[in-house]
Order: sequence, then C-alpha cells, then structure tokens
Amino acid sequence: MISITLNGREQSFDVEADMPLLWLIREEAGLRGTKFGCGIAQCGACTVHVDGQAVRSCMYPAVAAQDKQVNTVETLGSKDAPHALQTAWIKHQVPQCGYCQSGMMMAAAALLQNNANPSGEDIDVAMTNICRCGTYSRVKAAILDAAKEISS
Amino acid sequence: MSMTRRMFVFGGAAIGGGLALGVIGLGTHLAVHDRLAVQREGNGKDTLLNLWLRVNQDNTVTLLSPHTEMGQGAGTGLTQIVADELDLNWDQIKLELAPPSTEFSNGGVFEGFIGEMIGKAPKWAEHIASNAFNRLADVLNMQMTGGSASIRFTGWNIMREAAAAARQMLINAAIDKHSASANTSTDSGFVVDGDNRWSYGELVEHAATLAVPEDYVLRSPSDRKFIGKAMPRHDLPDKVFLKTQYGIDRYVDGMRYAAIAHSGVFGADVASIDNLDEIIAMRGVLAVEKMGLSVAVIADNPWRAEKAVKALKITAASHENSDISSASIESFQRQSLQGELSDAHAVGDVTSVQDGTGETIEAEFWVPYLAHATMEPMNASAWMEGNKLHVAAGVQNPLYVRAHAAKIADMDIENVVFHAHSMGGGFGRRVGFSMSEDNPIMWIDEVVTLVKKYQFPIKLTWSREADTRQDVYRPAILANFSAQLDENGKPSYWKSASYGSEGGAPAAMTPYNIGNVQVQFANHPSPIPVGFWRSVENSQHAFFNESFIDILAEKAQTDPIAYRLSLLNKDDDHAKCLTEVAKLCNWQHGVSDDGKAMGVAVQKSFGTMVATVAEVSLQNNKARVHRVWVVTDSGVVVNPDSATAQIEGGIMFGLTAALYGRCDIENGGVKQSNFHDYPIVKMTEAPIVKVKLLQSDNIPGGFGEVGVPTIAPAVANALAVLGKRLTRLPINA
Ligand code: FES
Ligand code: FES
Repeated sequence: MISITLNGREQSFDVEADMPLLWLIREEAGLRGTKFGCGIAQCGACTVHVDGQAVRSCMYPAVAAQDKQVNTVETLGSKDAPHALQTAWIKHQVPQCGYCQSGMMMAAAALLQNNANPSGEDIDVAMTNICRCGTYSRVKAAILDAAKEISS
Repeated sequence: MSMTRRMFVFGGAAIGGGLALGVIGLGTHLAVHDRLAVQREGNGKDTLLNLWLRVNQDNTVTLLSPHTEMGQGAGTGLTQIVADELDLNWDQIKLELAPPSTEFSNGGVFEGFIGEMIGKAPKWAEHIASNAFNRLADVLNMQMTGGSASIRFTGWNIMREAAAAARQMLINAAIDKHSASANTSTDSGFVVDGDNRWSYGELVEHAATLAVPEDYVLRSPSDRKFIGKAMPRHDLPDKVFLKTQYGIDRYVDGMRYAAIAHSGVFGADVASIDNLDEIIAMRGVLAVEKMGLSVAVIADNPWRAEKAVKALKITAASHENSDISSASIESFQRQSLQGELSDAHAVGDVTSVQDGTGETIEAEFWVPYLAHATMEPMNASAWMEGNKLHVAAGVQNPLYVRAHAAKIADMDIENVVFHAHSMGGGFGRRVGFSMSEDNPIMWIDEVVTLVKKYQFPIKLTWSREADTRQDVYRPAILANFSAQLDENGKPSYWKSASYGSEGGAPAAMTPYNIGNVQVQFANHPSPIPVGFWRSVENSQHAFFNESFIDILAEKAQTDPIAYRLSLLNKDDDHAKCLTEVAKLCNWQHGVSDDGKAMGVAVQKSFGTMVATVAEVSLQNNKARVHRVWVVTDSGVVVNPDSATAQIEGGIMFGLTAALYGRCDIENGGVKQSNFHDYPIVKMTEAPIVKVKLLQSDNIPGGFGEVGVPTIAPAVANALAVLGKRLTRLPINA
C-alpha cells in the first residue's frame, strides 16, 4: 500500500513500488488531465507537482511519493476560478492540439512558484517540455504575462 | 457561382423547429440537388450530426461537426465564415461538437441521402459518396491544418454556399409569410424590410418549408465582420480547463489495457514468443495474444501491460525485408535514378543545350525517413454493447475508420459505433490510408481483434517506441540535380531526377524562368511504409530545389535573393514574397560580425506562397537558428492569429526535421525509438519567428502545412554562407 496526499486528499493505493506515479494518477485515481507522451522523462506531458516541485511522473516511482503531497493539473484552476497561467494561456491562444499543454502549465506553475519574476532565459532553461505543435513562443509570452499578473 | 454545380445544398424539414441545411461537395461529378429532405423524424442523431448548419428558434445558428476536435483553429474559422455569410453577431454562432459518447455514423445518412435523390444508390454513387464524406470529415478536422485543394474548396466555397442559401431562405420566408418587399435584406440576425424586423428564429419554421433557392448571392467582402479578424478559438477553453477528451482519455467500466510489440521487421509476422510463461506470470497480466504482425499483452493497468511487453522475447518470422537498411535503400534509389525515368515536367529541350560550354553544376540530395511523432501516441479503445461494437479513437477520417473496424470485426457497419475523440496531433499520421498501401491504423485492427476475442472493454495504447517504429513515414528520397550556367550566370538548363512517385511532381517543379527544364522521377514500391507527413512532398522537394538554386546563385556569385528575382517575373507571387521577406528581415547576404548568416527559401504549397529567411550561426559545428522571418501570400486569411500560429508551428516542425529528424532503417526496422534518439526542437532552441501575412481577395490558401517546407532549405542556405553546404538531412546529424 502506498499512501499519498493526492490533490489534497490522503489516499492509499495497492500498487507496486515501481509503478510510475503517472499510471497511478491516470488509472488508479482516474485523473486523466496528466498525459502520457514518452514514458522516459523526455517530453514533460506527465508533469505533476510533488511537494511543490515539478516532476515527470512517468519516471517517478509511486513509492517515492509515499506520504508526499502530489498535485495534478486538475488543481490548477477552473473556468470560474482560473489560475493566472490559464487566463494567459487563453489570452495568448497558446494550445494547438493541446495535448502537451497540461504538462506545460504545470511546469510553468512550478517555475513561477520558485521564481515569481522569470526572465525569458529563465523560462527557456526551466521549460524543457516538448510541444510537437511548436507553441513555444506563445508559451513563453503567456508565462511572462502570468508572472506580471501574479505579482501585480 | 459556378461552384454550385459541384455540390449539393440540401435543406428542409425542421429539427427541433430549426432550419437545417447541409451541403455536400462531390468534386465535379454530380449536379445540384437542391431540395432533399434527408433529415427526417426518426432518422435520429445520425442525421443531425451530418448537417452543417442549423438555424435555431432562439435566433442562434449552430455549425455542426461530426468531430470532437476541429484541429488547429479550423472550427473557429468556419464559424467566422458562416457568421459573415449569414449576417450574424458573434454570440449568435455556435460550434457544436458531437460529444465523444454520442454515436454518429456518416455513412448511414449518406446512403439515405443518395437513396432520396436517385432511388437506390448504385455502386458507383456509393463510392463517390463515401469519398466525398471522407473529404468532408477531413475538412471539418483539418481546415486550417490540412489545406489541400479540396479542403480549401470545401471550407471556403461550400460552407459559404450553405450560409448564403440559409440567409436567402430566411429572406424568402419573410417575403412568403409576411409579404415583405423585394428590398428585404438582413441585419445581424434579423431579416429587415423597412421598419419591419423579424428575427431569424421567428422565421426558421417557415423557412424550413421552402425550397433551397438557387439564386442566392454571396455577400461582398465589405460586409465582413469576422473574416480576417483574430477571433478567439472556440476549442481553447476546453483545452486549458481539461474538458477536452483525447482518445487516450477514454474510459469505460471494466476496461482492461493492452500494450503491443511489433515484430520489428516491416511486413514480418511474429514467429514465436520465447518466454510466454514468464510473461503470463507477471502481475496484472490477463492474456498474451499473438496477432500476425504483433503480440499484445492485456493487463489490468496500462503500465503493467507495457512492462510485460518490454519483457517479451519475440522472434520475427524471416522476411525479405529483414536485411534492408538505410544504406541499401539509398543505393537502390541511386541505381534506380540511373535506370528508366518518367518525365513529370519538361520545358524546352535540355538535351539540346546540355553539351554547352558553361560549367556544369551537379548535386545529389538525400532526405531520410521521418516519423510523425504526434504528442499523443496511437491508441484506441473498443468494447461491446449488446451486439454492437464500439470503437473510440482520435482519427482524421472517422468514417473510413468505422468502415475499416467493421471489416476487421467482420460485422455489418450498422453494428459498429465510432466515437471520435480529439487528437493529440495529427500531421497526416491519423489518416486511414498511406502512400505505400500499408495500413497506418493497425492499432484499430489490433484493438478490434482483441475485443472480438475477449469481449471485455480494452484500451490499446502504443508506447512511444511502438509509435516511432511502426509509422507510415515521410518517404526518404535521393535526388540528382544538374544545371549549366550561361555567360550571365543564368541556368541554360535545369534537370532533376528524384526517387518517388509522380504525385510529388507539383512540389518538384522549379518556379524559375529557365529555358530548358526536365523534372523526372523513378519509382518502385517501397519496402518501408510511407505516408502523408505534414506538407507531404513539399518538405523534400523544397529542400532540393531551393538548395540547388542557391548553389547556382553561389556559383554565379550573386546575392541569392537577387538571383532568384532575376529568374522570376516581376508580378510573380514568388517574387512578391521574396521581396517582402527581404524587407522584413532587413536582408544581409554574408557573415555578420557576430558570426551569423541569413539563408532564404520560397515554396508555394496548398495555395499559399511562403518565403522564409533563417538567421543561423554555427556553435561547436552545430547549426543554431536564431531568428526566422516568414512572408505568406494566401488570398483571404480567415483568422490571422490561427494562421500565424500554424506558421509558427510549421516552422518548428520543419526545423526539427531539418536539424534532427532521421529514422534509420536497420535489419528491416527503424532504429530510433523515442525522443532521446528522435529529438524534437525544444524551447531553448526555438528561434524567434516573425510572420507577415499578405492578403488578397483570392480563395484562402492553407496554413497548417505550408510553414514546414521552406525552413530546411533556408537553414541549409544560411549554413552555406558560413562555409558549410549540406545536401543531406538532418543538418545536426
Ligand atoms: S510522458 Fe513523462 S516525460 Fe514524457
Ligand atoms: S499543442 Fe500539440 S503538442 Fe503542444
């Protein structure tokens, strides 16, 4: 049994220690906002927060999350109470196919938590997610915008 | 309105009291049939989902799509077109997407439709019908991303026709019912005659009883309120707030999960599983199934299934492909280019000048196979409900896939329900057919076969490795070029021969004014599955042609833009875009003080002219692209922001191919497997892209694909200025 606090609720899962957090989240907990892209920590589609830090859940063994706070993209915000990043994402019309974007937004949210005022270069370094549709310039513009919004 | 002759407008009886109108374009085969009440009570949801336009009693208009995902802004563009043609306010137009749980079947409706029209549908009509519907399916999915001629034709003309016909019907309803005058017109959702105003909603019921008019007129460009504006995309809030359901997100109760291993050799069956007992004993594993080309493991969690697949030891049956490699394919192509060639294009007579005195310049180009690498790997779910088979997936042509699933399941198509999901990228990967007659949608076959046997619901997800290694690839092409320069440095002839099908001919034509041109192809069946990859043949041929013209400019010691312009008519749209892009980037030929150089390329595809300049430097002998400028000329631009986004994305897609993209063939399979050895450009490497859209009144050109072709030659041409002329891709090999 592995106990984690998933999106604020303590839960136990009867899974192998080496089951990646991604598959626990998507299939055991049924939260499908977190995406599978590569399974080898290359693309970032599966990004979630463990104790506030962005991790690539496809290579993060469930046991490593034992007794930790795991937050998925479902906690980011909603239409009625959007996160500043979500507002900026719409303003800049960021997504194309959209598949990578929940991972993008989670990586960006962690970045802003660590660095409320990132430079373009900080963003380049922090945002190593893959977007096959090539939305990078808009992702960057949206993060800069959201940072401004949060700090104002 | 000559286009009218090439489509059906059908309309009539109300659905929920609304006026429903559909239009079906059938190429040039069939004439107009303007009064076809195909939507009947009792025909149910199936029918509804095939209608394109519904004027509702609450004075809104719904654009209906049988798809859940309209692709890259296409749905929004279509609503812009309809809102303008029907004279609506923005809040009156709704885009309705079939929820993934809703059953839809285009085929049944079309049979009904044809049946109404000519009695029983003959075989030939069925064929045309299903083709037309496949095309419509593509339109609705791919308007901005697809952009082939039929798509642009359908999107721009047919949608507008439907809206124009609807507007005229509403006007006619006011004339018929309220004796409105001949001067009756419309104003933002109202039919207006002097001081009399009737909302569309009030008129729809009567309008639905009238015949679809043949004498409607399209509104003039000056009446447009939305076409040409950066209207926000309808699909983005759902994507940002996680309401979008991709195929991989499908879940039904009792679902089990399958993972797959292919034999590793294209075309070869799996001969044996060498550790079956070990696999069966793994936690969660429910079944192992050998299915010809592949083995599936079914488990209670996708990771357990995939873990078991990774532990599988399988042997491929011996196959004639087992020995092929990139090297053997390349030498076969080289040999073929020495053999018999077909003429695709000829101007003047190359042989008459070939022995001239000028210097002969030759080049051989090579581009490798490329996987699509959509962000969401291939996947599909299937389950039985009673005697019906349900299949859920994100595909570019759902109708085709539904028919295909029925064939695999050996069931009547009526008993197969297809659920269309959003796609995490398409780029031509999720089309049901390929160039080489290989089956690109094997994952549908696999999941259907499994569900038929095991009866419980199954979701099959290909690993990234399976996705990379079992694609229908962009074809690898070898090409030979030669030319001779006259005393003015202009080519006296231009000759090219490329491996590949003549389908690539339009992309391979040189746009330059050269007296003697010969464009030839050599083609043989491909042992490697090849398919439609974003921009299709244009990405390879733009690289060849635009590199070669640059090589000639270099030999002639002329500025590459000036050289191109000297070979183009002043009013040619290549010249126009080249001139504009030179201005936009403040064009400099040569190496800058900080070691950067610019390179240029131009290519027209899918109705859109694109001229691109890339600014490149060499860092540790690797190309680094700093800035990119793009000028497009594409007629009417329906949504400039979506268009710009597509160009930005196309540049990144093309840049990935230019810098890194290669699928090497080894022992009959693809060597690369995942993003570590098939890398995608990331944010740190992403250049700043500046896009300028030139517009005219011409029909809209495509945007989804056209950003791709020019970036590789532009980067290669810039590298040549830095002293490194590359004729093989990828650049940072
Ligand atoms: S799926 Fe985890 S990084 Fe790609
Ligand atoms: S929006 Fe499609 S992969 Fe990023």
